[in-house]
Amino acid sequence: MKHLLAVTALATGILASLPGLAQDKTVVSFLHKFPEPENMAYFDAAVAEFEAANPTIDIVMEAVADEPYKDKIRVLMASDQVPDIYFSWSGEFGRKFAREGRTLDLTEALKGPEWQGRFAAASLEPFQFEGKQFGIPVNVDSKYMIYNKAIFEKHGLSVPTTFAEFIALNDALLAAGEVPIAYGNQAPWAATHYIGDLFAKMVPDEVRQADYQLLAPADQLYTHPGYVEALALYKSFGDKGYFNSGANAISHQQARGAFIAGRSAMVYLELVEFYMLADTPVAEQGWGFFPMPPMEGAAGRNDLLTGAPDGFLVSSKTEHPEEALAFLNFITSPEQAAKYVSTTGMTSAVIGSVTEATTTPETLAGLKALEDAAGMALWLDTDMDTASANVILAAGQGLLSGEETPEAVMEKVRAAAKETQAQR
Amino acid sequence: MPDSQDPIRATWRQSLQGWLWVAPALLFLAVFVYGPALTNIRFSLFSFSAMSLDWDFVGFENYLRLWNDPRFMTALTNNAAYAAISVTCQVGIALVLAAVLEARIFPDFSANLFRTALFLPSILPVVVVGLVWQLLLTPMTGLIDQILWETGLSSWSKAWLGEPDTAIFAVIFVSQWQWTGYIMALFMVAIRAVPRDLYEAMEIDGASGVQQFWHITVPGVRETILIVTIVTILGSLKVFDIVWVMTAGGPNHASEVLGTMMYRAAFRDDMVGYSSAIATVIFFIALTIGLVQIKLQKDR
Repeated sequence: MKHLLAVTALATGILASLPGLAQDKTVVSFLHKFPEPENMAYFDAAVAEFEAANPTIDIVMEAVADEPYKDKIRVLMASDQVPDIYFSWSGEFGRKFAREGRTLDLTEALKGPEWQGRFAAASLEPFQFEGKQFGIPVNVDSKYMIYNKAIFEKHGLSVPTTFAEFIALNDALLAAGEVPIAYGNQAPWAATHYIGDLFAKMVPDEVRQADYQLLAPADQLYTHPGYVEALALYKSFGDKGYFNSGANAISHQQARGAFIAGRSAMVYLELVEFYMLADTPVAEQGWGFFPMPPMEGAAGRNDLLTGAPDGFLVSSKTEHPEEALAFLNFITSPEQAAKYVSTTGMTSAVIGSVTEATTTPETLAGLKALEDAAGMALWLDTDMDTASANVILAAGQGLLSGEETPEAVMEKVRAAAKETQAQR
Repeated sequence: MPDSQDPIRATWRQSLQGWLWVAPALLFLAVFVYGPALTNIRFSLFSFSAMSLDWDFVGFENYLRLWNDPRFMTALTNNAAYAAISVTCQVGIALVLAAVLEARIFPDFSANLFRTALFLPSILPVVVVGLVWQLLLTPMTGLIDQILWETGLSSWSKAWLGEPDTAIFAVIFVSQWQWTGYIMALFMVAIRAVPRDLYEAMEIDGASGVQQFWHITVPGVRETILIVTIVTILGSLKVFDIVWVMTAGGPNHASEVLGTMMYRAAFRDDMVGYSSAIATVIFFIALTIGLVQIKLQKDR
């Protein structure tokens, strides 16, 4: 009996001391969407380094892939289990968290001396809502048309400097029996990169911004003819055969693979995909890139690049805002940002972190083009309100398959936008 | 006083004992099935997003919206096509295959080989099956397209998963490829329970294999046919995974089914109330099918 009592007392003591042990550390939960091995190598090392320097803080990190992340964060929001720090795309995707009060206002915190001059204004702006900073940018990305130099040389073609030249280039490639552009639109976000770029070029900036943010009067939402013209132009790419056949049944990754294998002359890729072209057949043949060329006489802006920064937000309900900010300060410090770039092959929003020492010449040139651009046309599907974006996402497939017309699509967009505007 | 001398009390006691035995299962069902189902019905009367902390009571507006949503008709039609083709293949063809393999037409080695080959796909994870078939059906570079080109059937080549007319049927085909062998195995077990004497008697009377199938096998396994039909129809109604993996309901919602529509509403469109309304409709359709099954079984 004595033994039993002693064992019980010992077990009780151990159990009682466990919460005490746990309470010695402040737990900060951290959810992001970079589970790829090269990304996790960086984040694991960064978390370990931060915890070693801050022994009282325990960063509990979880990473899920791009598409599942969209589901997971919504489930966590709905069940009120928001992580202390979580990933967000910029634009409307992040703004809706801010609008619903799910983000900590970081405006004052970022006025601290250690944050000054760390990010370009263009990277910070997409994480602002009603004049307040709701997120911190971590990387920047933009979209470029990548071309196979060998195929261009074979047919005596050169990089287009205007949109008309770009059309002529596609016609020439088609006439030469080449597939001009490898395109995988099975996951329809790929279409929004084309359509978003065309909207930016063909719709006046102030009109587009007012429409995207549902600030225009209800009867004027998405009424500019540039939208229909842009969708018609996108549809013509499919109809003329600029894209490979069956684009709706091919993933973006498969399209990229087709370009790498030399089965197409061009592919529309993100800056963060540049590193994937190293040591491939197309690297041997030589590749270059150019932004989608400016469109003469178009009503919108030609000086924008399609792209956006990604970032991290802090939950408004976090019990440890100082620790969360300390961690974000750590991983966006110039030293960590340089490690991030060199380890992952990605770009970073931290000024001065992408250098010849940390990345490839192509990525550096891509980032330079981004810095030279006047600004960014954010990813369309994360910049428009969800309902309108969903119409465009489906239309990106429907226009190619011939099920939709540009006019009918914009009619649906107007209806969706009006309904969302009325609910706000 | 012994209980046996007090029948009312004995019944009550016996009944209490029975209730105690089933109590854990009932509690489990209440917490994890009926509770969430009722909560879901309540959710369907509100408009709210996953992001929002505010809920707006909208009554039956979500159901009205669903009724007027053209995607709902597309989804229902696709589910119906899924069910019709699944019943034809997984009940009809699987039964014929089972009868042929059990009729000892083939040598044992061949019969075992066929049985294994047909059953094997059902042990593969749905996601793996979906991804592999996605690659096989890829235009130009996929194996199916290459076979069509090599055999002079290039006019049949198409983006099976990328065209609105073929996407859902390509997905349904893959589902049949995966599950027909499984249902066939269930029928084989049922056929083995049919007394061999009946077959021998018909053979002596000069009945053909087809006659034996219609007059002995089919009546002999009718209970299994009923159960498998109901399970197949319910499975077709609830289908989500294979469609989501292969087409995600695309292109342009052409292969949308109720499951993907519900998922999209909740996790992509931020319309949790609307998603709950779709879930409620699925629940009541499934309930109706379940009640029909119970009625048919009672009638027999």
